Amino acid sequence: MADGADGADGADGMGRGVRVFLTACVCGIASGMFGIGGGVLLVPLLGLLFSFSQHRAQGTSLVALIPPTGVLALLAYARQGFVSWKTGLLLIPGVFLGGIVGGRLAEKLQPQRMRQVFAGILFALGTWQAFSAWWR
Amino acid sequence: MMTSVILLLGLGVGVLVGLLGIGGGVVLVPAMVYLLGMDQHLAQGTSLFILLPPVGVGALPEYWKQGQVDLRAGILCAVGILLGALGGSLVALPLPSRHLQGLFGCFLMLSAILLWRKAQPASKTSGDGGRAHG
Repeated sequence: MADGADGADGADGMGRGVRVFLTACVCGIASGMFGIGGGVLLVPLLGLLFSFSQHRAQGTSLVALIPPTGVLALLAYARQGFVSWKTGLLLIPGVFLGGIVGGRLAEKLQPQRMRQVFAGILFALGTWQAFSAWWR
Repeated sequence: MMTSVILLLGLGVGVLVGLLGIGGGVVLVPAMVYLLGMDQHLAQGTSLFILLPPVGVGALPEYWKQGQVDLRAGILCAVGILLGALGGSLVALPLPSRHLQGLFGCFLMLSAILLWRKAQPASKTSGDGGRAHG
C-alpha cells in the first residue's frame, strides 16, 4: 500500500508488481471462462486500481495481449472440439486491420465518450445474452 | 455471402480493438452466437483461437509513440492472464452451454459498469482527455 497512487510514472516496487500480477490472474480466469482476451476487464482495472490514464491502460493492455495468452485455454477447448478453425481464420485479418484503424482513431477521439458508448453497448449485449439464456 | 459477413465482422471488431485496447473477444463471442448461430462453447473456443496471433499489435505503435505503454506491467499481465485463462477454461468447459451463456451476459454487464465508472472521475481529475484531442 506504499505506492499505488501513481502507477503511470513507473514508481513501481515489488508490491505493485505483485498486485498487477494478481489482477491479471483474475482477468485470465475471465479470459478462459468466457473465451475472451481479458482486455475488457484489464483496462478498467488498471485505471481503477492502479490509476493508469485511459490511454496508458489501453496501450498496456495491448502489450499484455501480444503473447498468445489464451493458448492454454484454447488447447482445453480444442480438445473438446469447441473451435471453429475456418471461421477463426476468416476473422483474424479483419480484426488485425481494423485494429490499425482503431488505434489511429483513438488518438483523435475523446476517450471518455468512446468508452461510455462502448459500455452502453456492452451492457445491452450482456442483458440480452443473460436474458436469452435463462428466460427462454 | 457468409464469408463476407465474417470478414466484415472481423473488421468491425478490429476497430474496437484499436479504439479500446481490448482483445475483441468480448464482442466476437456474442457476434458469433447471434450472427453465425454458434453454440456458446464453440464461439468461446473460436474466439480464443482468433486471439492467438497478436491482433492488437497493429494498434500498439500508435500508443507506443505517445508513450502510453507500461511495458513492465504489460508483461506481468500477460503471464497472469496466461495462467488464469487455463483455470478459467477448466471451470467453463463442464458447464452447460445455456448457463455459460447466461454467465457471459452477467460478465458483460459487470465489465460495462467497470468501464463506465472509470470514465467519470477521469474526466475531472486527469488531463488525459484533453491531450487526446490533438
